[in-house]
Amino acid sequence: MSWRITLVAVGAAFLAACASGPPVHGPPPLPSGGESPAGTARPAPSVPAQPAQPAAPPAPAYTPPPKQFHLGAPATALVQQAHAQAKSGDFGQVSATVERALRIEPDNPLLWIELGRMRLGGGDAQQADAMGRKALSLASGDGAAQASAWRLIADALQAQGRNGEAADAARHAASLAPQFSRG
Amino acid sequence: VAYVVYLDRQVTHQFEGRRWTLPAQVYAAPLELYAGLPLTPGELERELQRLHYQRVDRGDAPGTYRVSSERFEVMLRPARFEDETRPATRLLISVNAAGVQSLRDAAGGDVAVLRLEPLLIGSIFPIHGEDRIVVTPAEVPPLLPKALIAVEDRNFETHHGVDPLAVLRAMWVNLRAGQIEQGGSTLTQQLVRSYFLNSRQTYSRKLREAFMAMALEARFAKDDLMNAYINEIFLGQDGTRAIHGFGLASQFYFGKPLAELDTSQVALLVAVVRGPSYYDPRRHPDRARTRRDLVLKEMAEQGAISAAEASTAAQRPLGVTARPSGAYYPAYLDFVRRTLHRDYKDEDLTQAGLRIYTSLEPRAQEEAEHALEHELARLDRVHKQPHGRLEGAVVVTAPQSGDVIAIVGGRDVGYDGFDRALDAHRSLGSLVKPFIYLTALESGRYNAATVVQDVPVDVKLANGSHWRPENFTHEVSGPVPVVRALSESLNLATVGVGLDVGLAKIAATLQRFGLTQPPVQVPAMLLGAVDLAPIEAAQLFNGLANGGFRNPLRAVRAVISQDGKTVKAFPLTVTPVAAPAAVYQVDRMLVHVMDHGTGRAGRTLLPPQLVVAGKSGTSSDYRDSWFAGFSGGHLVVVWVGYDDDQPTGFTGSAGALPVWAHIMAGLGTTSWNTTMPDSLAEVQIEYPTGLRGAPGCAEDLVAVAVPAGVELPAKPGCNLQ
Repeated sequence: MSWRITLVAVGAAFLAACASGPPVHGPPPLPSGGESPAGTARPAPSVPAQPAQPAAPPAPAYTPPPKQFHLGAPATALVQQAHAQAKSGDFGQVSATVERALRIEPDNPLLWIELGRMRLGGGDAQQADAMGRKALSLASGDGAAQASAWRLIADALQAQGRNGEAADAARHAASLAPQFSRG
Repeated sequence: VAYVVYLDRQVTHQFEGRRWTLPAQVYAAPLELYAGLPLTPGELERELQRLHYQRVDRGDAPGTYRVSSERFEVMLRPARFEDETRPATRLLISVNAAGVQSLRDAAGGDVAVLRLEPLLIGSIFPIHGEDRIVVTPAEVPPLLPKALIAVEDRNFETHHGVDPLAVLRAMWVNLRAGQIEQGGSTLTQQLVRSYFLNSRQTYSRKLREAFMAMALEARFAKDDLMNAYINEIFLGQDGTRAIHGFGLASQFYFGKPLAELDTSQVALLVAVVRGPSYYDPRRHPDRARTRRDLVLKEMAEQGAISAAEASTAAQRPLGVTARPSGAYYPAYLDFVRRTLHRDYKDEDLTQAGLRIYTSLEPRAQEEAEHALEHELARLDRVHKQPHGRLEGAVVVTAPQSGDVIAIVGGRDVGYDGFDRALDAHRSLGSLVKPFIYLTALESGRYNAATVVQDVPVDVKLANGSHWRPENFTHEVSGPVPVVRALSESLNLATVGVGLDVGLAKIAATLQRFGLTQPPVQVPAMLLGAVDLAPIEAAQLFNGLANGGFRNPLRAVRAVISQDGKTVKAFPLTVTPVAAPAAVYQVDRMLVHVMDHGTGRAGRTLLPPQLVVAGKSGTSSDYRDSWFAGFSGGHLVVVWVGYDDDQPTGFTGSAGALPVWAHIMAGLGTTSWNTTMPDSLAEVQIEYPTGLRGAPGCAEDLVAVAVPAGVELPAKPGCNLQ
């Protein structure tokens, strides 16, 4: 089940990545809470339309500029390779492949979510939770990525039987990106 | 007769049961190639040459490459990675000064990402020192057995283990020469001697050797004996490491696989067989060359090669690498060994043929080594110190993964001895300050603009004495904002904050970030009276560089068995240890250290656009000079000092900082540009006063991050909205 969720979460990224080519390199601007090198603002990817949640998200105190993380071509290829390896069930290999991608784009929250999903699939809910939080810390300004991170955290907490906290995390996810939440 | 039967049994049993003790082979991280990688053509070529790829004009043998303008055509060797095995592959790389433009396979298809093979950086061999790489007959160039037969044992194919004619011939040659020029031992006898006996030459031993050789011949095929010989024989000495077998000798002398050796190189290795010390091609190149040419001549006489081939090969230089390869990084291997000893017994590491994949990046390692050697020599000159006594250590990590990519254990980088990066436990000095301010920010009572008092402090200690710390300048600065107290490393202001926040809380912060021993909670802790090895300081700062997440620093990624199975993986793990927003505020202040504070002197050595964060550290009486800091992709920690703890006479900024800045500049790293958490806001404050201001109405403005909604006092006359 977790694999299907991962594909949904990262699928959007693939679409963006395919259209965008390699990640942008070069001297980034001085830190001012701006873009990450791979996080060039893009139009929202086309996502299968889903009914919006009835609960409206609470108004945030600070409105960050809209942002959409995507994966560069090398990371995309590696994640696809990892998915192929996952079918054979070798979590060691799968994990090593996603780590390769992370070395290329260490600040990309989508990869941390990917790796967290793999840890969860491998039974390590604690690491899945931590990686969700790592993703969250990198995903400022990208509601969809934040929602995916919260959902990972929710699933990781649930796997540890921390149902109350899991429900809170799921609510966070729903409030951030209603279109990504499950029915 | 009983004795002969006994020898026969012994020999057969040992030969069949013989598993070469296979030292674990240790590999560096492979270089990932992809379009967009900032790697120039020169750097790419350097990487290929590090792996001893040979530049050629034509041909497509594995281990070679061709260059035409901005296109590299590389014939990659077969390679084994931690997670896959790859056959020989042709790769077209389009690369220019801006970096790698595209990768294509032999059929012209796009390749998104592809690794060069990992560099062999060493092996973990047993105490008695036998190191080897076992080769299969398929990995042996056909010329090698021919050459061995021509030079060492002309009747190998037909004799029964001993060759009386060869003995007589050798006696005759030696008699005429007046010295030992030829041995009459067959390859089989040499094998027996190496396997079972020590090299003391007595007649009874000779006789035993002959019997054992005949026993081996009676039971095993010539091909098996030849392969055993190729893997067994002693071919060189490297410190305590004995180089056994042609597979390792090829790496040791030429840095490449045995299969890639040309005629002159095969001849050189065969020449070395006769006396690895006497004919050492690095120490005695003339002797080695004379013997190699003799070997070539004999090969031609015996028909192993043509006379023309022999004379062409004799024109070639020896072609040995300057330093033994796999490039030798003792301090890093030390860390690898210690990591593995937690899980493995000595025998597993030295005998089981494990392959160890590490995070070492040879390019970063060489930058770090070079910067330390170079800067320490400069400090010796500037401070008129005798050359070579000042020491240092460096640790470089990739903070997001916790990968340790380089370790330098001292200025003599090839010396396999005291590893300061792991074992020099030195006073941390002001490197502790970011953790004090982090604890203060977490309390909710401080932010970067909070004005604190840099005034004399007098603490009455439990034993009744008084502790009266001072600033390094022996001056006081009075009221200053936190950002300035940290940037300029003001002791008195920091002690005031630390005492207010509480020693216990600060100690807990240090432990969360990875300090293994609880620090002694005395006020001097606030000025860094905590002894840490550079690798431990790197563990603490890695948490700051990684936004409040701790990763156990790791050198080993995976241990793979001889048959390719993952024996142990060291997967990436992270643990949240501090709120990312609090860490972000501290990191932003550490950027100001580089622009306004004690890191300023390093700025001129760095690319102007590169944003980095750092902190200097100087222990009391200038005994320890530290600098720790990070960019977007790298954390570098440098310690400089004397082994005997004598004062160096300089601060962290004067000693460790230039080393640090040279390494940072050489790594080709990216800026620190962590996205500001949504809960924070950026404000401009006056660096001297901490008052909020704006260009035009205030001086010396710096941008700091504070919790959104915090009201800061504005500079009078500034209309801020």
